[in-house]
Amino acid sequence: MEDYPEELRTPPISLVSVVGCPELHQTISSFLHAEQPPINTLALPDFSKISVLSRKQKDPLSSSHSAAGILKRDWLSKHRTRVPAAVAALFRVDCVTGDPAQWLQVCTDLENLKAVLHGRGIKLIVILVQTYANEDVNEDLKITLRKRAEIDAKYLMMLVQDDTPELKQSLTRLSSTLAELCNTYYREEGRKIRIRIEKRSFSSVELNIRYCFKVAVFAEFRRDWAEALRFYEEAYRALREMIATSTRLPPVQRLVEIRAVAEQLFFKISTLLLHGGKVEEAIAWFNRHFNSYKHLVGLDEVSFLHWDWLSRQFLVFAELLETSSAAIPNTLSSHFGTPESSLTEWEIQPAYYYQLAANYLREKRYCLDNLLSTGDSEFSRTSGKVPESVMPSVFIGQSARLVEQGDMIEVLPLSDAEYVQYALSEAQRFQDSYEIIALFRKACESFTNLKAPRLASLCSNRMAKEYFFTEDFTDAKKLFDTVSSLYRQEGWVTLLWESLGYLQECSIRLDSAKDFIEYSLEMASLPIFANGDQEIPDSKREYGPAGLPSQSRREALQSEVLSLVRGEEIVSRTDRGCSIAVTKEQPVRIDVDIISPLRMVLLVSVAFHDQSVKPGSPVMFTLSLVSQLPCSIEVDELEIEFNQPKCNFIIINAVEEISAARSNGDNQDVRIETAPSIVLPTNKWLRLTYDVKSDQSGKLECLSVTARIGKSFKICCQAESPASMEDLPFWKFEGMVQTFPTKDPVLSFSGQKVIQVEEPDPEVDLILNASSPALVGESFVVPLTVIPRGHEVYSGELKINLVDARGGGLLMSPRETDPFSSGNHHVELISISRMGDDDESRIHSDKIKKIQQSFGVVSVPDLRVGDKWSCKLEIKWHKPKSVMLYASLGYSPNSAEAARVNVHRSLQIEGKIPISITHTFMMPFRREPLLLSKVKSLPGADQNVYLALNETSILIVTARNSSEVPLRVKSMMIQSNSNKNETPYSIQHVGGVSADDSLLVPGGEFKGVFSVRPKIDSPNLELGSVCLNWNRDLTLSDSEDSGVVTEQKLPAVIVEQSPLVVSLEFPPHAILGIPFLFYIKVSNQTNLLQEIKYSLGDTQSFVFCGPHDNAGFILPKMEYVMSYKLVPLCSGSQQLPQATITSLRYSAALNPSVTATTIFVYPSEPNFFVADNEKETILAKLNL
Amino acid sequence: MAGTACFIIVSKNDIPIYEAEVGSAAKKEEASQQHQFILHAALDIVEDLAWTTNAMFLKAVDKFNDLSVSVYVTAGHTRFMLLHDSRNEDGIKSFFQEVQELYIKILLNPLYLPSARIASSHFDTKVRALARKYL
Repeated sequence: MEDYPEELRTPPISLVSVVGCPELHQTISSFLHAEQPPINTLALPDFSKISVLSRKQKDPLSSSHSAAGILKRDWLSKHRTRVPAAVAALFRVDCVTGDPAQWLQVCTDLENLKAVLHGRGIKLIVILVQTYANEDVNEDLKITLRKRAEIDAKYLMMLVQDDTPELKQSLTRLSSTLAELCNTYYREEGRKIRIRIEKRSFSSVELNIRYCFKVAVFAEFRRDWAEALRFYEEAYRALREMIATSTRLPPVQRLVEIRAVAEQLFFKISTLLLHGGKVEEAIAWFNRHFNSYKHLVGLDEVSFLHWDWLSRQFLVFAELLETSSAAIPNTLSSHFGTPESSLTEWEIQPAYYYQLAANYLREKRYCLDNLLSTGDSEFSRTSGKVPESVMPSVFIGQSARLVEQGDMIEVLPLSDAEYVQYALSEAQRFQDSYEIIALFRKACESFTNLKAPRLASLCSNRMAKEYFFTEDFTDAKKLFDTVSSLYRQEGWVTLLWESLGYLQECSIRLDSAKDFIEYSLEMASLPIFANGDQEIPDSKREYGPAGLPSQSRREALQSEVLSLVRGEEIVSRTDRGCSIAVTKEQPVRIDVDIISPLRMVLLVSVAFHDQSVKPGSPVMFTLSLVSQLPCSIEVDELEIEFNQPKCNFIIINAVEEISAARSNGDNQDVRIETAPSIVLPTNKWLRLTYDVKSDQSGKLECLSVTARIGKSFKICCQAESPASMEDLPFWKFEGMVQTFPTKDPVLSFSGQKVIQVEEPDPEVDLILNASSPALVGESFVVPLTVIPRGHEVYSGELKINLVDARGGGLLMSPRETDPFSSGNHHVELISISRMGDDDESRIHSDKIKKIQQSFGVVSVPDLRVGDKWSCKLEIKWHKPKSVMLYASLGYSPNSAEAARVNVHRSLQIEGKIPISITHTFMMPFRREPLLLSKVKSLPGADQNVYLALNETSILIVTARNSSEVPLRVKSMMIQSNSNKNETPYSIQHVGGVSADDSLLVPGGEFKGVFSVRPKIDSPNLELGSVCLNWNRDLTLSDSEDSGVVTEQKLPAVIVEQSPLVVSLEFPPHAILGIPFLFYIKVSNQTNLLQEIKYSLGDTQSFVFCGPHDNAGFILPKMEYVMSYKLVPLCSGSQQLPQATITSLRYSAALNPSVTATTIFVYPSEPNFFVADNEKETILAKLNL
Repeated sequence: MAGTACFIIVSKNDIPIYEAEVGSAAKKEEASQQHQFILHAALDIVEDLAWTTNAMFLKAVDKFNDLSVSVYVTAGHTRFMLLHDSRNEDGIKSFFQEVQELYIKILLNPLYLPSARIASSHFDTKVRALARKYL
């Protein structure tokens, strides 16, 4: 589109001319240009320049040849730039009103102007320029001037120069008048010509077309698009009719001219339609245009001109569509494909036209190339040299030759032969390929954006071919690669074949033997069965370098590749000078993975016959290969690679010498097998079965199989399991016999390329013993013994692990509040110690020793069969918990570094609390201090223990064996928490069961009696904790055990001063009928006078003397004694009369407890045999 | 009968399963690849059009020079594509309908794997006969 002249591309703009007053021209022209619609201005500074407006003197010769062409090249630009529709003559007012000489000058100027405009219909307008608005002009003068100029009153205007609002107003008036005049002018001009058309007063078709064109252009000037379109169409139609009839020019040039004019007319038509938003009509017009000219190829020599022209039509239309895409309504696409619209959505895409433009340009290039290659010499012979100084003539689509004859320059018409030569030489100058590539790229990008990958790939493919043509093989290869991947994916074999053919050729030219082999092999293995016998000699253009896809071509390709890898050279088909070869120095290796298209060439499936195998024992291994190449292929050597390199082996063709194979293999220790022949027929599995032995436990996987063909070509295939093998994408749907990779169909469905090599069986005993439940606090010992049975143990390592038996893994409580304490493990592995510390092996074994709280590693010394090694695991429970103990021993059965064997044992151990400790506080017998806060506290509200200050209380601690094993108590004591010398109380062990190793059977109790005497008054007195030292009652001679200390804290007690202490005194027993004394002693511990009341009730068992009710005062720090004499009346255990002591000050009453007031009454005097000293000690202790 | 016609059946996973040059000018002056290239590219247009209409016969969806691509989409989204130069739309429609009957017979064959290449020579003969009849 850019090639078109500007006046053709843009809509026409009216032209007016202004003469005189040059200082105003800038203002006027910019104002007019800014108007809507704009008006262009041709500014002439003074009246002497008006001759440019005058009609050129017609050449008498050319006027006679009025029909020498259809459209004049410069007619449009003439009306755009040189012929104004109206002329505005500017005069200054002072010139008009001035002296007569000036007036005369004005008159002369006007006359001249009128003479120039005469007969051309150009309108005249006179403008008087005032400097200021108040300058008044005589009306008579105006009339005179108007008459001189022969114009209407309204075409004489005033322009005020220096008054901005006034100036603006005048300019607006001027522009509207000018617009009106232009309109009139163009309408009149158009009408004049239209009359000629209507009267058919033209001598030739050419003139008819020219007239129609002119009418249309004038209509465009007036913005009468409908009429413009009608006349352009009319012109187009007339032109189409002319094709067969005109004889004016030699045939070739005639066609060229007609096409050029048609192109211009069509351009106008489509522009008008597209700008009017009539896309469908534009496209329909385009199709009509294309259809009416597509067969006008012309002579063979100039057919390239035709294709060039067609291509340009598409290109221009595409560009038009692209630029006017904004005008295309969005609703358009909705009714595509419906009966009302035969258009498809793709036809409004510029890419569609770009693509076709490129196609036709390609066609042009082919024609041109054919012409140049075949008829080059012939043409130059017949038609001589290319004519010189050929230039476009005055008519569109015509060329002429300039001939200089002396000073005269003459324009001569060309003969057809000369024109063809000229056109050829012009065409050769252009690099069509770049143009084609650019067009295809544009289309391709556009299609990609439209999510039409196939259309895009068609463009890419063409683009790649063009690159190939221009010998840019790198770019061509890149594009062909992307294109072929789409065809490969969608399974379009024929298209893939062709793309690969190009790629093959590219790789030869790029000197890449590897690529060449890959492409060739892929092509050879494509499912093509056609018999391509009829190949036409000129097939290169249609088929590409690969030729017709056929079975025979496939076979040829295969043999070509095989000869290449066996050392021959392959020569490029397009350029004989290019060749590739595979040499020993540059061996070729092709890798085939599971997504490679080359799986068709060689597919390897491997299967172990078993799921798992013992180390060292052989397992059957089947290797199956299949190829889809059209002919059988012989492999020289197969190399099978495993993930355990020791298992790798090589299969060689028995035909080859083993020594030869060995000589080129560098590693001598690789196992070599022979097979009678390794030949792969088409689509038939070659199955080879061998034994594989692995000594290393773990996974054994076949990784790849490499086939060597010839000396320097290898193809390495990733091994696949038959169970998970994918079908070949191209061959999946071919009707062929389905075969299995292995003979055994079960193996074909379930076979795996991986096998598990098991660990060797351990032949070592690992014994864990635990006698009984573990007790919290003790360090529980688990003996562990390693006894080699069949294996010797080398570099053994023992791992111990403690895991919560109830799951959860960790042996600590997340709720543990103290995270800094190291003892937050409930169960702890304390040590692993060698049992029977006899020799230096202990030092050796402790070399590796890592112990954490729940994990330990210890190394085991080398052991021979018959040796024995044992150790003790010391584990301590802090909380009762059930724990799994895992022990695993890893060792090597022989001293060389080989597979390790592991033995695992586990044991569940229950942790129990061994002893539960309880305690009680008591007052001394028959002694009762008054504790005021205890009296005031609600009964049962708190569990606090109240002790009286400076009074002796009795603490009884009971330890109960809650485990199932007998324990021995070594000692029991109360340990104070604070410093010894400042103890706020004194505690003494006063009695209980003897703690010297006393046996505590399960469920049995051990009691200790302590006397407690608080020394300070404190509401929260810590009494320390009970420490019980015990150990298991082991009958074994394990006496060095120091025992376990179980500690339990005593609760804090409340100590307070008691104001009154009541003690009852009476003999331990009484005898029936014999009176005895009963004292109630109340001692006042305060510095106050205390008043008490007391009473003694009657009972049946006793009679007494003394007051029933009485009251008394106790002096400070004094004691008040009430004494009664009682006579028992009944024998047996009897209740003394109920005594009640009430302190008036504290309103507290004391009723001695039943046990405290019980006395045993003997019927007669009993006889006791009690050792005196013992009696004394007991009494002494009690009185403390 | 049409001068040039290339008929191709494309399975629902875009793989061509049957192809035939059925034109009378089967002299291969223009290679079958070129036809296949056009047909392959037209698949994009078919993808677009097939879902906009209930009709199975999509008429001419694409044009290349003077060749048009007519497409018939079966219910199973198998596409019959014909590249032709004749303008006989009714003939093409009848051709497609009869080919569909043949195709259904192929599908009914228990030994035929759907989406597999149609290798039946009987089918081929019938299709060519239909082409002679209608195109």
